[in-house]
Amino acid sequence: MITLTVALPLLAAFLLPLAGPLRYALGPAVPLAMAWLALQAWAPAQAEPFVIAIGGFRPPLGIAFYVDTIAVLLNLAVAACVLLLWPWGTGADAARKQSLTLLLAGASAGLALSGDLFNVYVFYELVAVASYGLAAGRGTGAGYAAAFRYLVVSSLGSLLALIGITLIYFRAGTLNLAHLAELAPAALHDPLGLSAFLLLLVGLGVKAEMFPVNAWVPEVYAAAESRVSALLAGLVSKLAVLVLVRLLVLVFPLDEARLALLVLGTLGIVTGELAAWRARDLTRMLAFSSIGQLGIVLVAFAIPGEAGLAAGLAVAVHHLIAKPALFLLAERWGGSIEALAGAGLRSKLGGALFVLFALSLVGVPPLPGFWAKFLTLSGLAAQSGAAWWLAAAAILLTTVVEASYLFRVVGRLYAPDDEGRAAAQGRLQLAGAGVLGACLIAAAAGAVPLGEALKHMAAQAGDRPAYIERVLRPHPEVAQ
Amino acid sequence: MIELTSYALYAGAIGLLLIGIAGVLLCHHIFRVVLALGIAEAGANLLLVLTGFRWDGTAPIIENGIQGHMVDPVPQALVLTSIVIGVGVQALALALAVRLRQAYGTLDLREIRVRMERDLDAQAGVAPPASQEEPAGGRPLPPPVARPLIASREARP
Repeated sequence: MITLTVALPLLAAFLLPLAGPLRYALGPAVPLAMAWLALQAWAPAQAEPFVIAIGGFRPPLGIAFYVDTIAVLLNLAVAACVLLLWPWGTGADAARKQSLTLLLAGASAGLALSGDLFNVYVFYELVAVASYGLAAGRGTGAGYAAAFRYLVVSSLGSLLALIGITLIYFRAGTLNLAHLAELAPAALHDPLGLSAFLLLLVGLGVKAEMFPVNAWVPEVYAAAESRVSALLAGLVSKLAVLVLVRLLVLVFPLDEARLALLVLGTLGIVTGELAAWRARDLTRMLAFSSIGQLGIVLVAFAIPGEAGLAAGLAVAVHHLIAKPALFLLAERWGGSIEALAGAGLRSKLGGALFVLFALSLVGVPPLPGFWAKFLTLSGLAAQSGAAWWLAAAAILLTTVVEASYLFRVVGRLYAPDDEGRAAAQGRLQLAGAGVLGACLIAAAAGAVPLGEALKHMAAQAGDRPAYIERVLRPHPEVAQ
Repeated sequence: MIELTSYALYAGAIGLLLIGIAGVLLCHHIFRVVLALGIAEAGANLLLVLTGFRWDGTAPIIENGIQGHMVDPVPQALVLTSIVIGVGVQALALALAVRLRQAYGTLDLREIRVRMERDLDAQAGVAPPASQEEPAGGRPLPPPVARPLIASREARP
């Protein structure tokens, strides 16, 4: 059933332009159906992850979808984000954007589920193509320029990832992740295998806003609509990170691989946060801060063991909630920070939501952002070695920087100014941000059960022998 | 002989990759960048095909039972997919290039970048960073110079 979350949006994306007036109902119905399907799969996946062999062919020969709690959670997130950030409208322009958004949704769901490097590559490219179209969607010269530059960087990244996949296939002769996990100690844990991982890291890192390949981030987020920036920063980056984590856990559980992730993540934190501090307009500040946050996610996932997985999940999910909301708020406020004077006084709810999310991003105790950073820091502190402590120091220091620039914005929002120029918030954006804010507060209230759920998820994702067992040697009653 | 041909093919694949990547990084003309991407993709595809190829193999289609060795079909399927994706991405890149030419009247990526940053700054309502040509503050500007933004080979389609 959960395979429909991939098939349904892809089908709808191509049918939508032909559906005539039906498409006003069809479009938003698809993410709703996706959410329902994902919810159906939640309980079984929580109890025991299961494998779907597509077409009935057994892996490693056939293609498999691996359904565990993280995959279902990300599927839910895809559906929720697409619904919240849906491009409402009636013109031909809106129809194109709706098709592209559905394409992005289907490919993202596939990326979360697939247990096969071949499929990962295909879905990754689908996500990429859809996001180029969405990035250029505003129709301005700057939009086209940013989209083109993004396309070049991203294609180069996919090319490197493809070479990495080639190297892996050359060594191991399979692309199924479980089969690779079984063969990896003999075939891939050597310099060639490690270079394949690095190629994949740099290639997939383009979408994950990783340090050396993230020059496209501020340009695209400033030139595209905030809705699109929210999708790319909130959702697509997490999916790229998920693929990297699956590779790290299953195929390359090596110290060198973790170190590469740690170093690139730390550099991302430092450069992103410092650039955000220097930014003079809200959209680009959020873009740079998103680079920094993704750096924390990478650092957290680099920590070995379940502690690292739990911390990384916490940071990633928190960012997945907070960043789209901030981009939604920036839709109307996305000018220079100076021009924001008094905007929070005129739009009370918008100002309050911005303060809430800023506090959570910085990590003020009762909010989930604090727990995410706390888990990461305690995980880092448990490791021994200069690189880990350097990463912890970078996170602590950049928290100060983060607080400084976010509260500079908050200060402007509540500055007394009668003839401020910033427009009031639109109702749609405010509603979206409000829903995400409610999620954040609910998460703060239920921090303890949420932490247990995260731990369970991390334990599932980190269980390498069970993954191999489930995919390659399924019990007849579990396989379906 | 076969071994020599293999080496030549591997060298060719890696050479194409290097030419393509160097082209993407060094060229400033949009069309050359798109072509370089195509060349690099061809190199990667060739490399991928080579990983599963055997000289004594036949096409992996079973007709009258399995006879002798077969070429590994997985890399071939992957290469087919990647060729299709490459065509799509190149078409999209060219479409964007047409729109860029319409919007900015140039195909030089450096000039496009300068104009894009200026546009983004204007859209956000912040002044562009001060430069030698346009000092910040109220100081008098030097008289306007009648020359293009960047003196370079004019980018023509």
